[in-house]
Amino acid sequence: MSGSAPAAPTVSRPNLGSMLMIAIVVTIVGAFVVLGPGFAWNNLLMNPLINALLLLTNLLGGQFGLAIIVFTIILRVVTIPFTLRQLQSTRAMQEMQPRMQELQKKYKDPKRRQQETMKLYKETGINPLGCIMPMAIQMLMFIALYRALAFVVGGSPESLVGLSQRVYDWSYLTQSVPLEQSFLWLELGQADNTFILPLMVGVSTYVQTKLAQTPSSTPQQQQQQQMMTWMMPLVMVWITLSLPSGVGVYWVVSNIFSVFASYLVYGRSMSWRNLLPMPAATPSKKPSPKMQANVQEEAETAASSNPQEARSAHGKRRGKRKKRR
Amino acid sequence: MRPLPRRISIRRITRTHPPLGLALLVIAMLAAAACVGFNNPEGWAGPTVAADDLLVVSTDKGELSALDLVPESGPQCDNSTDDDEDGWVNEGCPSAGAKAERGKECANSTGDDAVNDIPDDDKINDGCPAAVPIWTFPTGQEDPEIDLEAIYTTPQIIGDTVYLGGYSGDVYALRLDDGMKKWSFDTDDNIIAGLAVSETTVYVGTDDGLLYALDLETGLEEDNPNNPFDAGAGIWGRPLLVEDVIYVASVNGKLYALDAETLDPIWDAPFEAERGLISDPVLADGTILVGGFDRTLHAVDAASGEERRWSFKADDWFWGKPLVLDGTVYAPNLDGNLYALSLETGAERWSFEAEEPLRSVPILTDDALVIVDRKGNVYGLDPENGNRIWSRTGEDGIEKTVLSNPITDPSALEVEVFISAQGGDLFRIDPAAGSFVKVVTP
Repeated sequence: MSGSAPAAPTVSRPNLGSMLMIAIVVTIVGAFVVLGPGFAWNNLLMNPLINALLLLTNLLGGQFGLAIIVFTIILRVVTIPFTLRQLQSTRAMQEMQPRMQELQKKYKDPKRRQQETMKLYKETGINPLGCIMPMAIQMLMFIALYRALAFVVGGSPESLVGLSQRVYDWSYLTQSVPLEQSFLWLELGQADNTFILPLMVGVSTYVQTKLAQTPSSTPQQQQQQQMMTWMMPLVMVWITLSLPSGVGVYWVVSNIFSVFASYLVYGRSMSWRNLLPMPAATPSKKPSPKMQANVQEEAETAASSNPQEARSAHGKRRGKRKKRR
Repeated sequence: MRPLPRRISIRRITRTHPPLGLALLVIAMLAAAACVGFNNPEGWAGPTVAADDLLVVSTDKGELSALDLVPESGPQCDNSTDDDEDGWVNEGCPSAGAKAERGKECANSTGDDAVNDIPDDDKINDGCPAAVPIWTFPTGQEDPEIDLEAIYTTPQIIGDTVYLGGYSGDVYALRLDDGMKKWSFDTDDNIIAGLAVSETTVYVGTDDGLLYALDLETGLEEDNPNNPFDAGAGIWGRPLLVEDVIYVASVNGKLYALDAETLDPIWDAPFEAERGLISDPVLADGTILVGGFDRTLHAVDAASGEERRWSFKADDWFWGKPLVLDGTVYAPNLDGNLYALSLETGAERWSFEAEEPLRSVPILTDDALVIVDRKGNVYGLDPENGNRIWSRTGEDGIEKTVLSNPITDPSALEVEVFISAQGGDLFRIDPAAGSFVKVVTP
């Protein structure tokens, strides 16, 4: 990973993925506005998720644990365009950091610096919010799934009273109700007191976060990444300790899927050696001015050329990546 | 070489590295989600009237109390003396919301609640407690500590003993006069169903499908090869004890009739529904009424268990216990409807739609058929036709989650209905007018 050349920033263009994502966002926001937040949340997100979980449980012989795993995989496959886009945007933003640093050094006036930053975004075609929307959609899905699990897992008899209101009028769906909560060593409706699952969540989060990282171009960035690399798993362990195991199972499977998604985006540039703790920043690790200049030159070339050229350059790079695979 | 910056601020991170800033936001959201909780059990034990004007009720999550039901009232509240000679002063005076007197203000006969030294009303002792807890279990002082987690079983009172089951899986026998433990029995699984108590035995069903028969005096498992009886899946409905037969419904959809002494099955085969049976079974005119996940109320021949006399299908689960009176079955359903059915044929006579799901058993008083829905909306209906006589809904309602069974005891409580809400709040309803008052405890 550390040896790979920085790729050119992602150039946004009105492709099918963007259009699809915009359409989904507009649909979601529109539905929430037209139908009302409560109605839209329940009928467009929660209830379909709950019934899908029940259906999967029945199809898998009443094994709710398996249903969570399969459901997570299906959910991640369906949202993989968003995942990939998020990873690509994140990568592009990270790769643009040297140029951002240059701007920060060059312009001391905050207003001017902001103008130049926005100009840089415009020139390179990077949308700084490009990674936010996919992540926001995933977060929305996660929170909906979290609430859905709260109903379906049924940590209490009261939750089943709520569940009855949400199950579609198809008797097959209630075949497995109340759901079998035992799965492997877990009670899916209760927190895992053996600490095995929280540990798995922590490790998988660490691996996923670590593998998704691109080389740090500045010591600050490296320090921030280090902080996030450790903070995220620890927070996840803490959260898993206080939540029913079903949510932890979702996280482990989701993280494993994310590792594969990272591999899809970063390919061979993703080094498994990155799993080792990052050494302290040293001058040798810092990207050389020459390298930064190259990046800047490359980006400026892309920006100065017409959009068609920019698309071509991006397409070539993607082609190369594919070839390497 | 430029030294590493020592200060890492959120602002710096979000400014220089948006993805990391977003990740921090995600962490914050996840942490918030974790703090929201995950449907922890709260319990829905209903109140029970004991002798000597005592009400035994869950007054907090996992906590049971015996309340004095004959507190001071009316003019007795306008002085600082123990008018009813029960050791408490003004223990029954009504609550008046925010402008109420509390604590020491209750120990005198003056309207001494004030805002900025200006009296906010002219009422005397208007916030003083309206019921007195005689005892509470567990006290928190037990060694080892007792944690019931939640209470779903309405306590049963036989003689001078209170029997209850905790969601933690323990069955307790407590002395009625002081709440001290007589014995306990650990079932090793959650207890959701109510207890059935005979003159010699306590029957308790657990979430792992076992029905235990315990000695009433000692709490020991009765010496019987069939004890505990395995119903195959969780027992959520209170076992129904009728003379020497005990009927047990299970979430695998089976209804068993067992010999109460030997726990041997009486029927050739259990009655079997398509989905789990979760309501408390009720016996009326030789028919067992039980409902469940198949959205159906089943009428089963109590003698054979084979013949289904009729069944009634609704839009949601039948989880509430039906009330049977004068040939009519009043069956609450989670679809929000109270169905009045003919006991003989199952034909629908009328239905009333509440605003929220119904799990609590209806209560018939001289004035009205009282029902309460999950959100605490209370309705008084004409039992003949289901017409609404009065209702207290929305902000006028209890505004608490109610899943427990209300009670009424005309002889002891002078025609009142008591409703226990989740969290321990207790309300007394006047079924004639629908007015209610929250029973305040210290």
